[in-house]
Amino acid sequence: MKEAGLKTRREFLRTGLLGGSLCWTVPGFLQNTMLSLHAAADGQLVQGVTGKDGNILVVLQLAGGNDGLNTVVPFDHDDYRRARPTLGLSEKQVLRLGPKEKVGLHSALAGLAKSYEAGDLAVVQGVGYPNPNRSHFRSTEIWATATDAEKSSSTGWIGRYFDNACTGCDAAVGVTLGSQTPQAFAAKTPKGVLYEAGGRRRRLGADGEPESDGSMTMAMEADGEDGPAGGSIGDIAGSSGKIDALDFLERTEMDVQVTQKEIAAASGRGKNGVPYPGSWLGNQFALISRLIAGGLKTRIYYVSQGGYDTHTGQAGAHDRLLREMGDAVSAFLADLKAQGNLGRVTLMTFSEFGRRVKENASGGTDHGAAAPLFLAGGGVTAGLLGEMPSLAPRDLDDGDIKFNVDFRSVYATVLEKHLGVKSDPILGRAFPLLKAYG
Amino acid sequence: MATLPASAWDKEKAGVLLQRAGFGGTPQEVEALAAMQPWQAADSLLGSPDLARAEPPASVTQPGLTEQQRFLRRRLDLLTPKDRGRKGAELYRAIRAEQEKRLTDLRGWWFERMANPATAAREKVVLFLHGHFATSEEKVRNPTVLFQQNQMFRERAMGPWSDLVLGVAQDPAMLIYLDGARSRPEQPNENFARELFELFTLGEGNYSEKDIQEAARAFTGWTVRLPKKAGEIMDEETTPPSFVNNPKWHDSKSKKIFGKTGSFDGEDVVRLTLQQPAAPRWITGKLWRFYTGSNPTEETHRELVSTWEENKGQLRPFLQAMWTNPSFYAPELARQRIKSPVEWLVGLCRQLERPLPAPALASEITTQLGQKLFAPPNVKGWDGGITWINTTSLEKRYEYASWLVSGTLGMRRLGDMDLGRLAIQSGLLEVPRPMIEGTPMEEPDMKKEFAEKRKAAARQARELLAVSPAPLAPLAAPEDRQDPARLVSRLSTRLLPGETTPPELQTRFRKAAGETAPLNDAAIRQTILAIVQSPVYQLG
Repeated sequence: MKEAGLKTRREFLRTGLLGGSLCWTVPGFLQNTMLSLHAAADGQLVQGVTGKDGNILVVLQLAGGNDGLNTVVPFDHDDYRRARPTLGLSEKQVLRLGPKEKVGLHSALAGLAKSYEAGDLAVVQGVGYPNPNRSHFRSTEIWATATDAEKSSSTGWIGRYFDNACTGCDAAVGVTLGSQTPQAFAAKTPKGVLYEAGGRRRRLGADGEPESDGSMTMAMEADGEDGPAGGSIGDIAGSSGKIDALDFLERTEMDVQVTQKEIAAASGRGKNGVPYPGSWLGNQFALISRLIAGGLKTRIYYVSQGGYDTHTGQAGAHDRLLREMGDAVSAFLADLKAQGNLGRVTLMTFSEFGRRVKENASGGTDHGAAAPLFLAGGGVTAGLLGEMPSLAPRDLDDGDIKFNVDFRSVYATVLEKHLGVKSDPILGRAFPLLKAYG
Repeated sequence: MATLPASAWDKEKAGVLLQRAGFGGTPQEVEALAAMQPWQAADSLLGSPDLARAEPPASVTQPGLTEQQRFLRRRLDLLTPKDRGRKGAELYRAIRAEQEKRLTDLRGWWFERMANPATAAREKVVLFLHGHFATSEEKVRNPTVLFQQNQMFRERAMGPWSDLVLGVAQDPAMLIYLDGARSRPEQPNENFARELFELFTLGEGNYSEKDIQEAARAFTGWTVRLPKKAGEIMDEETTPPSFVNNPKWHDSKSKKIFGKTGSFDGEDVVRLTLQQPAAPRWITGKLWRFYTGSNPTEETHRELVSTWEENKGQLRPFLQAMWTNPSFYAPELARQRIKSPVEWLVGLCRQLERPLPAPALASEITTQLGQKLFAPPNVKGWDGGITWINTTSLEKRYEYASWLVSGTLGMRRLGDMDLGRLAIQSGLLEVPRPMIEGTPMEEPDMKKEFAEKRKAAARQARELLAVSPAPLAPLAAPEDRQDPARLVSRLSTRLLPGETTPPELQTRFRKAAGETAPLNDAAIRQTILAIVQSPVYQLG
């Protein structure tokens, strides 16, 4: 029976991409996985993983270092107002998270404020790690590998999740919306495919012109730098755990055949129940929602929004970035709710660091350290988690906010409570869990 | 450093060198290299010093905007706020389209130099430097200064590393890209100093935050200026910004950098930085990775550093020594290096002895495959290696390969490419000119007219950008057509030089060739496709 499965698979490969003109040789690494695939999966794209079957994590990376202080704003705080004479937001300019709370969301995040009221959004405050690194690349790598700042690893935390909990899964267990496999996916047995909805990735900046007229988007993109897009799989692949290039190519060739069509089919089956903003990010979230509705058995979706490196002219740029993000995310959450899938999904945002408390002379902010992040979804217990770190100058670390919650506590919580797997084999040790799930 | 003995030098190694040091080539070129001594082969690839001279493409040096647009640009602030918003947006789009067109032309010019056997290896070094000192048009927004940077790389690529680092520190494009141009003593911008240490010269962990802050102070005063004649209105299109050392903006007070104290300036920082022990390790490791696709072993790395130091950081003798080191051809390094999209495109055209696609298409192909020249993703450049390959990009490599082998004639669409945009980039379609008086674009009839024009231009673009089938005469001699096994062997030698084709691949290629002799053109193309649409072809 196994033999028959293998034969079918081979035939499928032969008639794949190029209309059957090629004879395929089965790469060595496949001999084992294919047998197990056929024995267990039998036509399924992805098998169930251990634990709570069917739950999905959507990771949204805010690349470039999002200004946490102007995202979840301590509007009432003297130290905040002093450090931010021009960029500081007053009570009137924020969306308060309840009458007792002394923090509010940036006014561009109206959609997220509604989700918070509806009980679908948690704000984790003061997330970071010891000995923060202020290099985009290094700090992104630390978040991706989930290692201590002084250590390095050749695999990412999502890749280790795949290695631990999804052996034998198809590559589409992880789907990245974009053109580069994120560093967090690096694994002993790399998995994950790339898929992108149409639409141009908008580049936002200080003098960014929003695009509106579809017929005019041809050669024109809005102004501004995208900033570090933040960490691709290759950043760490070469450092120690070397991936054999030919093996990798052969595996990718397989994935092209097997998964791309399945994804396109799932996207065709799924329907969006709500309108999405027309931004690139909006298109990606609309696609993720269709893939979920279309029954694709993906565990992790990963999408990245760039442009948060706001050294100059931050006010307008940050407003536009957060609006684009908040509008896309709240449409996504509403769509999932309409589908009845919100309970299965957690969306987690992160950024490689927050920004310096004190604004700079160019109307911007420089690289900082700890910052808040969002967890959203039906299973998430809404509210504020973690302590708001002190902004008093004496409590800062070289001008930057000290962390209260290790980011790996957030990962551990999501892994254990949402994806239903043990977190210490993936994160190297146990981290205290947050009360983010009921 | 150990040198490969002449006795160990053969066609296989010559094929590897031609691919890694340049962009690959024909079997004849491989044989010519194999007939030389190893050192001579390396030397011949880099050629004579005058090859650094290059006439820029006309589009780059000539102003792109019309008189009317320049007039509007100057007058924009005189308009009412409402008009300013609308016309400003239109003007902005026209300027962007114009820049895109000039960049496309510049890319086409560079591709041609890469595809020219006389300049290929030098242009490969320039490509390395472009990725190493990454600078993107998305922020710089001026094709002329990007060309000037590119040419600076070309002129200094064979000399001392310190000249290149200093050249970059004073380069207008870099001063704009990493904000050095706006750094002032009262508020020094740390961006350039940080990347200089972290990415360009030393690597993380080899400097302190304090070194960055102090170096940023030392670089103050190095900025750009728009040269302006008396009475002339500043115009970036015709007169690109140039480097200027402005003492008024320089922080001349004492600084402490890498443990040394003095009233240092930018040149001092470059000197002090390159004296750090981490400096030769950083650049030699990066060059080794670029050319082999792997990290050097500790032993090789030590050898590389000592060769670097013996040559006082001169790139040309270092590269020649690296290319003739036995470790460069170690079996462990075979099949570890993935060709970059640019190398893949230029190399495939060279191996097929076919012309490059038109600039707009060539540029779009490498962009779709993940490498848009003059627009690296960030200051770290392209990550390279396995990041070039994912499900989407591999599928596209296979698709574009079929265009280059079989041509695109008769195809109604070019993949999912936006032909309207390519029409603009090819200069076939003018972007509607914004005007102070007259019909704005928002009016429906003008929009409709533009849509029609765009459609017609897209049709024209499809013809202009059409790729002809690769000519088969150079690829298959009459006697090759008589024997499928012989044809496969000939084509493998050409397309996979330095690779011993594993038996299972041989079978795959043989199957494509079929058993019928003489082979017709379709069977030959099928065989070529089987080879280039394979995982192993992506390596070199």
